[in-house]
Amino acid sequence: MTESLQIQLKKGVLEMCVLALLSKGDNYAYDIASRMADAVGMGEGTIYPLMRRMQNDGLVTTYLQESGSGPPRKYYKITKEGAQTLKNQITDWLAFEAAVHKILGELT
Amino acid sequence: MNRATFMAQLRTGLAGLHSSDVNDILADYESHFADGKAHGRTEDEVADALGDPARLAREMRAEVGFKRWEQDRSAGNLFGVILALLGLATLDLMLLLPILFAGVVVIFALSVCCLAFIVAGSFLLFNLLPGDWHHPLTNGSLQALCGAGLLSGGIGGGSLLLIIVDALARMLIQYARLHFRLFNTAAASV
Repeated sequence: MTESLQIQLKKGVLEMCVLALLSKGDNYAYDIASRMADAVGMGEGTIYPLMRRMQNDGLVTTYLQESGSGPPRKYYKITKEGAQTLKNQITDWLAFEAAVHKILGELT
Repeated sequence: MNRATFMAQLRTGLAGLHSSDVNDILADYESHFADGKAHGRTEDEVADALGDPARLAREMRAEVGFKRWEQDRSAGNLFGVILALLGLATLDLMLLLPILFAGVVVIFALSVCCLAFIVAGSFLLFNLLPGDWHHPLTNGSLQALCGAGLLSGGIGGGSLLLIIVDALARMLIQYARLHFRLFNTAAASV
């Protein structure tokens, strides 16, 4: 796969992946970032502009929770709107994936 | 790069934003370093994984600037959005620069026009107030009509312009967001 195609593809699904992670439970940025970095190679620092953008769009909210050590930690929680967006994106993604798969299948 | 250098560069890149926004963002990255340390990573490792602080700051500026503009459509906040877009433009939106520049010039010219309409209309109306001065139009009621027309035209045009600017800013932000460089490098993304 060419590098640029890979980057474009990942960019497109980043938000969906973060929403999917959050749909399984509230989480904090460091953990989301390391999961995403491991899974798709996202730069860890990118999580903060991304989370801020999703917050601006009303897809996630934040709250502070005391942690065992150190200052309280900022947790992200998926909103109703975020859950709906995730649902729509999964539908789109599966349809797209199936279509590409079909075409690739015809080639091989 | 250690934590202190990373944070200093990030702070420099965020200069000019509201201090509450800056503190908020800095706190996010500070806690990232703290979490990294708790996971046994060195400051250098964490800083490397985070990426270029100057670039992150530019992306943050765009998000924060846009949010401020959404909350309060003031000239200062519009300026912030334009600055943020120009910051991104130097990265990814080179193609957009001339269009952005032309757009700013056209919008500025149109707003000057609207202002001139308002000033001219107000002048024609105030000129009708009792007093011994020269009237540009001999017919008083005609002058009142012209004045009111110019005034309302200026105000209407101005509001329309504001709506258009808002829509354009949204479109640009949408475009800019799609073009954020979300990955450190292509090589690191595999």
